[in-house]
Amino acid sequence: MVRRKIHSAFFLFFCASISALLMADQAYAESTQVTFQKCLKCHPALGQQMASKGAHVPFKKLECSSCHNPHTSNYEHLVKEQIGKVCKSCHEGKKGVFDKKYSHSPFDEGACLKCHEPHSSNKRKLLVAERADLCFGCHAKKEVLSKKHKHDPVKKGKCLTCHSPHTSDHEAMLKRSLTQACASCHSKRIRSKEAKKSHGYYPIQDTKCTSCHNPHASNHNNLIKESSHKPFARKKCTQCHNPPRSTDPLGVKGGGMSVCTACHTSTEEDFRKVNTHVGQGVFCTNCHSPHSSDQAHMKKAKEAKMCTTCHEDTKERLRDKKNKHKHPSVMQGKCSDCHRPHGSNFRLLYGADEIATCTDADCHKRHATFTHPIGKDAIDPRSKAEITCITCHNLMGSRHDFSLRFDRKKELCIQCHKGY
Amino acid sequence: MYRKINFVVPFLIFLLIVPATALCAGKERIKHLTSIVRDTETGRLGLLSGIFFDENRNRLYVTDTTNKRILAFDHDLNFVSEFNAGGALEAPTSLVRNSKGQFLVAEPTKRCVLFIDIGQRSVKPIDFSAVAEANSIYPGSIAVDSADNLYIVDKANQRILVFDADLRFDRQVLVKSGKGLSDVKIGLDGNIYALNTIDGSIRVFDSQGNPLLSFGKKGKEIGKFKFPIGLAVDRKGLIYVVDKHKHKVLAFNKRGEFLLEFSQLGWREGRLHYPSYIYVNKAGRIFIVDGGNCRISIFE
Repeated sequence: MVRRKIHSAFFLFFCASISALLMADQAYAESTQVTFQKCLKCHPALGQQMASKGAHVPFKKLECSSCHNPHTSNYEHLVKEQIGKVCKSCHEGKKGVFDKKYSHSPFDEGACLKCHEPHSSNKRKLLVAERADLCFGCHAKKEVLSKKHKHDPVKKGKCLTCHSPHTSDHEAMLKRSLTQACASCHSKRIRSKEAKKSHGYYPIQDTKCTSCHNPHASNHNNLIKESSHKPFARKKCTQCHNPPRSTDPLGVKGGGMSVCTACHTSTEEDFRKVNTHVGQGVFCTNCHSPHSSDQAHMKKAKEAKMCTTCHEDTKERLRDKKNKHKHPSVMQGKCSDCHRPHGSNFRLLYGADEIATCTDADCHKRHATFTHPIGKDAIDPRSKAEITCITCHNLMGSRHDFSLRFDRKKELCIQCHKGY
Repeated sequence: MYRKINFVVPFLIFLLIVPATALCAGKERIKHLTSIVRDTETGRLGLLSGIFFDENRNRLYVTDTTNKRILAFDHDLNFVSEFNAGGALEAPTSLVRNSKGQFLVAEPTKRCVLFIDIGQRSVKPIDFSAVAEANSIYPGSIAVDSADNLYIVDKANQRILVFDADLRFDRQVLVKSGKGLSDVKIGLDGNIYALNTIDGSIRVFDSQGNPLLSFGKKGKEIGKFKFPIGLAVDRKGLIYVVDKHKHKVLAFNKRGEFLLEFSQLGWREGRLHYPSYIYVNKAGRIFIVDGGNCRISIFE
C-alpha cells in the first residue's frame, strides 16, 4: 500500500514537472515577439540594413532568434550554432544538391560568411562582393589578371559560367565535366577544319582541353599554358602518340611509362625503390602534364594541391585552422623539399633517414649537435623505437609552438619522463 | 497497473543494458597481446615491410628492408635467427613460405620476386618472361594458397599475377575498376582478396579470377577508409583492413559489412602510428607492421 502511494506521488510529480516546463517554454516563445524589437535599441545600425532591399528574410521579419540566442552561446555574436549549421538548418538545398563529390572548401568548413552577408547586402544572394571580386578575393587574382590573354567569362568576371559555388560532381567545381564544360560554348570551333588542322588531325572532341589550354588566362595565343613539353611545342605528336589515322590515335606508344622513360632515362631509376608512386599505364601523367603546364617540371597543378588529392590526412591537417604551426616548406606547399615524389627507400618517402633529412646542410644542421638525444642510442620509452625529429615534431601542422606534437610546457616531456 | 509498471521499467532497463554490454563485449574481443621491438638479439630494426606466419613450422618471419634481412621468431615470439640469403637480399619487402619450406621474397628495387631454397642453397628470381607487360612488373605484396600457388601484386599494371606451385606463370587477375592496387591475400576458401588504396575498395574474386564482391569506400565516417594499405582474412572469413592514415584496423564480415574497428594513433603498446601491413594467422593472431613505431604489434 505504501509503495503504491510512493509510486502515485512520483508519477504526479513527474507530470507536474513536464507541464511546468511546457508552459514556461510557451511563455518564452510569446515574449520573444516583444524582446526582439528591443534588439534594435542596442543595435540601431541594423535598422537601416533591415530596410534595405536585399535583407535576409528572417532578419527583415525580426526573427533574430532564428540565428541568435539572446542570452548565451558558445559562438561569436551569440549565434546559436556553428555558422554552417545555422545556415543549413534553413538552406538545405534541393535533394542531393549539397551531397556531391566535390565541395568548395568554405562551404565544406561551414564558413558561409566568407562569401555571404548574414543580414543584408546590396549584391545578389547576400554576397559580400560582386562577381569576380568575390572569387578573386581568394583565387589568384594576380596570376590571372596579369596575363596578356584572358578567357571571355574571366574578363567579364562571370566565374559561375563554368563553376558551381557550393558543390559539384566534377573536378575544379565545374558545372559540367571537363570535356563538356568547354564544348558547351565552343562546340562549333572544336569541330571546325581550322581546329582539326591545328590539332594535327587528332580527334579532340572528347579530350580535356585543359591538358593544353589554361581556361582562365595565358600569355600565349589560344590560351596555351606557359611551358610546353618539347615534342608538343614542335608538334611532333607521333613521338608519343599513335598516328592520327590509326585505330587508336590518342593511345600512347607502348601503353606504359616507357613512352616517358624513352627520353627521361634517369627517371626510371627513381622508381626502383621500396616506396614509390608507381601506377598503372602511363602513370607519369598522374602528376605531370604531357602537353603543357603552368607549373615547374610540367606538373599538373601546384605541388601541395596535387599531393593532397590522395594524401587527405595531410590536407585535413593543413586546413585545420587550429594547426597554426607548420614547417615553412609546408606553408609554401613545397612537399618535395623533404619528400621524394617518385620513390624512396626511406619511410614516408623522405630523401634520407628522418634525422638526415632534417639536419642536412641547408636546414637544421646545428640541431644535430645540441638537441635532445636523437638517433640510434636514444630510445622512446613508449614505443621502444629510436627517437628522431618527428617523434616530437609534426611538421604538417600542429597547434603547439615549433610544430610540436604536444604542448612543451605541459604534456610533451612527460610523455617519456614520467617522474616529473 | 502499478505491477505492470514495476515489470515494464526493469524490462526497459534490461533492453537498454543488454545491447550496450554486447557492444562493449564486442570491442573487448580484440586485445593487444605484445609487440616485437628492437632488442639486443634483433639489433636495430629498419623499415619493416612484410610478415608471414608459417603454420607448418610455427615460425613468424618479418622482413627488415633497410637491413636487408629476414627475421625469424618462434611461436612465443622469441627471436630465433636472421638470414640474408647469402647477401642476395637487397630490399626485401613482402614474403611467403610454401609447404616445401622455400621462401619467396618480393624485391621491388630489382623488380623481381626471389625464390630462396635454403636446403639447396639456391637463390634465383622467378621467371617473368611469359608475362605480357605494358610497364615493367613492380612486385608489391605476395601471397600463397594451400596448393602453393603464388599470387603477386603487380602495382605497375593493376593486376595480380598467379604462378603455379612450380613457379610457372599461370594467369593474371586484372583489378580493372580499382585504383592503387596494394595488397592481396588468399582466403581458406581459395578466394582472392585484393585491396585498392587510392579508391579505398576491396575486390573479392573466386580462385579463377571471377569477381564475387566489391565493397569499401573512402570517407571520414566510421567504417570508411582514409588510406587503406593492407588486408588480411582470418579462418572464419572476416576481413581485416589496416588504414595507414586512420591508424586503425577495420573489420568486415564475409559480405563486406562493417563490424568494428580497433586501435588508434599513438606510441604506447596497443596503439598504431602509420601502420603499413597486416597478417592474420590460423590461430587468430593479428600481426601489424607499425611502421611509425618501428615495431610489430600483435593483437588477438
